[in-house]
Amino acid sequence: MKHYLYLHAQSARSALLKILRQPFGNLLNLLMLAIALALPVSLYLGVSSLQQWTAKLNTTPQITLFMELSSEQADLAAVESSLKHHPRVASFRFVHKDAALKELEQRSGLNAISEGLGSNPLPHAFIVTPQALEPAMLDLLQKELSGLPMVELAQFDAAWARKLHAMITLAGQLAWLLAVVFALAMVLINHNTIRMQILARQEEIVVSKLIGATDSFIRRPFLYHAAWQGGLSALLCWGLSSWLAYQANPALAEFASLYGIDAQLRSLQPLEVLGVLLGAVLLSMLGARLAADHHLRKNQPA
Amino acid sequence: MIRFDQVTKRYPGGHEALRNLSFAVESGEMVFLAGHSGAGKSTLLKLVSGIERATSGNVLVNNQNLSKLRASQLPYVRQHIGVVFQDHKILFDRSVFDNVMLPLDIIGFDRRDAQRRVRAALDKVGLAGKEKVMPIRLSGGEQQRLCIARAVVHRPSILLADEPSANLDRAYALDIMELFKSFHQVGVTVLISAHDETLMEDYGRRIIRLREGQFAA
Repeated sequence: MKHYLYLHAQSARSALLKILRQPFGNLLNLLMLAIALALPVSLYLGVSSLQQWTAKLNTTPQITLFMELSSEQADLAAVESSLKHHPRVASFRFVHKDAALKELEQRSGLNAISEGLGSNPLPHAFIVTPQALEPAMLDLLQKELSGLPMVELAQFDAAWARKLHAMITLAGQLAWLLAVVFALAMVLINHNTIRMQILARQEEIVVSKLIGATDSFIRRPFLYHAAWQGGLSALLCWGLSSWLAYQANPALAEFASLYGIDAQLRSLQPLEVLGVLLGAVLLSMLGARLAADHHLRKNQPA
Repeated sequence: MIRFDQVTKRYPGGHEALRNLSFAVESGEMVFLAGHSGAGKSTLLKLVSGIERATSGNVLVNNQNLSKLRASQLPYVRQHIGVVFQDHKILFDRSVFDNVMLPLDIIGFDRRDAQRRVRAALDKVGLAGKEKVMPIRLSGGEQQRLCIARAVVHRPSILLADEPSANLDRAYALDIMELFKSFHQVGVTVLISAHDETLMEDYGRRIIRLREGQFAA
């Protein structure tokens, strides 16, 4: 067993030395693989950063009912009772126009608004939280509520947040789709580079088989080469995506500050680096294995 | 050690290289294989080393029936046999030393032990000073010796040589034959093919004569 491990360590070492002996050609190869990895990884990082910020935003949609200015106590009571008995309304809250004005004064810091205006220009309002509903049903509910007597306007508060949320979900799915496509590319690129290597070492393989090499002995150096290639390209991809985040962050922070959000693109966490590394290594080895098996099947001496 | 039991080898396309051939070579024996080119000598050696498979009949080597062995087991049979190929099969992209190292790498020898054995094998065939030389710089006779060193470095129990004296002048060919004799003397079973019978007759060993895949009278 110890001897077996020794042989594998030997193969791993000589495969790495082989890569290092041709630094330029192999670096180009590694960069190609790293870029193929960095695209889905960067998109994934972007999406997951966005999700962190939007989690702080309120995405459960609320509908605000603004009453007409001339509405009276009886009208308010009528609206209140129909909201209370509406099956699709989860909860609601009444905001008196005086309270609304006070809040506006506090928020804006303009204490003298009401004095300057003489009378309160704000309407009474109900803030309605619907049951969790499909977007189409929400639209229906909004229309229905706007039809209540003396209601001037029924407005979605969180419509933009919902749209943003949907877009992020879409981008997340796109990242996974890209990941699948580029995983395939990873296998194919490795399949191709290993196939070229096998062809270059065809004579050695033939002779080795003639003097007793097993298939696994023939495959071993190529599998290790692919494993190194995958591993090193994953590390390059980590660097590349961190560099991208580093470059994009100042501009992003400035943009986000306009909305009062503290936004930063994050880089890969240790566990995620490990995941990318493992994935890249396994996919590369899969490509190499397919190439080697294909060659061995075609070139059986007996 | 080596037993052929009604062995026939037919190549794709219908050419019959060996026809219903039966014979045995005892352990530690040294046997010559004679016949014109195309008589089936190379095919016979390839069947012993598991490079080719018999179409019918049984080939037994070291008490293993190669005809019944799975393809994945054949490499292990080859690891116990040393072969001097007719076309040498030397790798020209690596030094003399690394060429001889290859069988030991395949078997999985410890590095230091392997290096010792490679030096001993090169010493035995008279290439001691040429470890680091690339094979392209060797003469024809030296390439033949390199091939022999690679065939014996892992101390196989059977040594096969396909036309080892072809293209060598007589003095050099005799040297090579003496080398094989010395392996035979330490107990290795040796099977040598050649089309020049005058070389074998000096040795007084058994000669298997082939003609068109059968024993010649």
